Amino acid sequence: MVIVPATTGQMGILPGHVPTIAELKPGLLSVHEGNDVKKYFISSGFAFVHSNSYADILAVEAVPLDRIDPAQVQKGLSEFTQKLNSASSDLDKAEAQIGVDVHSALNSALTG
Amino acid sequence: MAMAALRREGRRFAPLVSSPNPINAIRSTLAPAEEQMGLGVRSISTQVVRNRMKSVRNIQKITKAMKMVAASKLRAIQVRAENSRGLWQPFTALLGDTPSVNVKKNVIVTISSDKGLCGGINSTSVKISRALHKINSGPDTECKYVILGEKGKAQLIRDSKKDIELIMTELQKNFLNYTQVSVLADDILKNVEFDALRIVFNKFQSVVSFLPTTATVLSPEIVERESEAGGKIGDLDSYEIEGGETKSEVLQNLAEFQFSCVMFNAVLENACSEQGARMSAMDSSSRNAGDMLDRLTLTYNRTRQASITTELIEIISGASALEG
Repeated sequence: MVIVPATTGQMGILPGHVPTIAELKPGLLSVHEGNDVKKYFISSGFAFVHSNSYADILAVEAVPLDRIDPAQVQKGLSEFTQKLNSASSDLDKAEAQIGVDVHSALNSALTG
Repeated sequence: MAMAALRREGRRFAPLVSSPNPINAIRSTLAPAEEQMGLGVRSISTQVVRNRMKSVRNIQKITKAMKMVAASKLRAIQVRAENSRGLWQPFTALLGDTPSVNVKKNVIVTISSDKGLCGGINSTSVKISRALHKINSGPDTECKYVILGEKGKAQLIRDSKKDIELIMTELQKNFLNYTQVSVLADDILKNVEFDALRIVFNKFQSVVSFLPTTATVLSPEIVERESEAGGKIGDLDSYEIEGGETKSEVLQNLAEFQFSCVMFNAVLENACSEQGARMSAMDSSSRNAGDMLDRLTLTYNRTRQASITTELIEIISGASALEG
């Protein structure tokens, strides 16, 4: 089974799932093989579930969770929060918002 | 260089021709060797051949070095190109490959290299682009070019200047990564109106072979139209769509993401083929230089040998004439 972070919420995919196209948001992707669980953090992308019980997950970046430094995440989160508060133009605001979203997703992935 | 050599030769022969005393020419056979060399009567100058050999040797050194550079660059980029294939394969699994789709606004994205000396990869991708242009342009359809790379631009700007929408060069100045390519794809999406994008590039197969390839990316409206009409992407209707407000919004995101992924792979594949082609071109040209050097060395030595033999014969026959 895989659990993917779709924009509509976490989505578990088992064999025989209905064919689906799902947009992904930054979050935790976990791959369960028996009792083995591999966890990755992905930036964003798409997931396709085909009717022949194949699933494709496309992500621009995927990093195993244990390679992420929690201290850096905290630092980045506070940096972007600060930027969000001081942003003046819409573009700056949107960029800072994305930064905050990614870092808070990372944070919750690490703690959860 | 050749001119200088000729002039030198001319100067050497000048006193001979303008000599007022014809006896000089006869006497010269008996005169000491040094004087003869100075006049340059018998020995053919080997200077020109020697210079040519030197330049061929230098060319060979340069092409060898270029081959080495291309080989090391190839190794670095080959892994990335092969890994990036995983990025477009899911899209083909979902949407299929539809090079034959018939739409109004066609845009051909020709990917070529910025630098030359890499065999025929740019000519092949330009040739394929021209053919696609011919196939897709008709009375009620239009077909435009978007060109990446200096070499494709140089070839296409000559005869189809009016059809070129966008030109981008110096792609490989910085390290090729997804961010750079997605900025580029964004530029194309913003500035060019299209129903179907046809990306022409050289797919890397091995160091000596590459395959001119087209990848087709359809605009969201066309994807919807085609899936309703059935055909190759008719299965799309059976998929449930998660996320986004409407189906068309998701399809829009999907098409844009597909384009950037396909572009990323295409750019990498083309860069990889370029290095491969450069490597084999440089290899054959250094081999060619080696062959040329062998031939020149043979001529040079034979001439030298001949002049030594002639000199010896003259000395011996002169000595025997004096004795007798």
